[in-house]
Amino acid sequence: TVRPKNEVEQKQLCAFGEYMAEILPKYIQQVQVTCFNELELLIHPDGIIPVLTFLRDHTNAQFKSLADLTAVDVPSRQYRFEIVYNLLSLRFNSRIRVKTYTDELTPLDSAVSVHKAANWYEREVWDMYGVFFANHPDLRRILTDYGFEGHPFRKDFPLSGYVEV
Amino acid sequence: QTTGLVGLAVAENPHERLRILYTKILGVLQNIPKDAAYRKYTEQIVNQRFNLVQTETDVQKLEDKLNSGRIEEVIVQAENELSLARKMIQWKPWEPLVEEPPSDQWRWPI
Repeated sequence: TVRPKNEVEQKQLCAFGEYMAEILPKYIQQVQVTCFNELELLIHPDGIIPVLTFLRDHTNAQFKSLADLTAVDVPSRQYRFEIVYNLLSLRFNSRIRVKTYTDELTPLDSAVSVHKAANWYEREVWDMYGVFFANHPDLRRILTDYGFEGHPFRKDFPLSGYVEV
Repeated sequence: QTTGLVGLAVAENPHERLRILYTKILGVLQNIPKDAAYRKYTEQIVNQRFNLVQTETDVQKLEDKLNSGRIEEVIVQAENELSLARKMIQWKPWEPLVEEPPSDQWRWPI
């Protein structure tokens, strides 16, 4: 069986994506809608806080809830880490994904000033990937052991680690 | 009488409050260049809501017409829009793109 295509929702998401691209051309590099009706905004890293505050505060896009903050490691790229924010709008019942990129050494702006929920998620991304967040209130390790060296989720970190257990 | 929502007190005189907020937003929007899409769309939304607030005096009917939850939530949303407009003046998002990504950045599958 094949998932039924929801054309109406796809059109609405495309229209909303164009609306976003028209309002924020300074930071949005690309907008795409997946075949499963998921809207993705691809952002320049300088525009994290402007885009997230816009999505939270604007009347047409009240994405008040940060559902997830993760990172993806693609070592072959120049900017290897891709940070993904998943937002949910309770007023309009829709989700949106915001993606940024960074390499190992460039810090990103912390989303904590926009969404308080980003606190532990950013600690996890720092611990697992090594992406530094500037203006984070308390950036320390959260999942690894106390003296652990290395960032486990990176693709060049071996599966069973460097230390024998 | 209550709003039914935790933490939001009932607003006495919501029409006055909304009127003040919407005039403030429109005043702040004058500082943005006229051709910016943000200014155009926000003015459209604010004027629409402003007209509805001015023509409709009954609170319940106003809530139904605005179709955006309780009137207190509409007030909170207007305050958010005002703070966003002030921040937009600093960030200036209507300028062209800051920097193009590397050509393989957003290619998927790699």
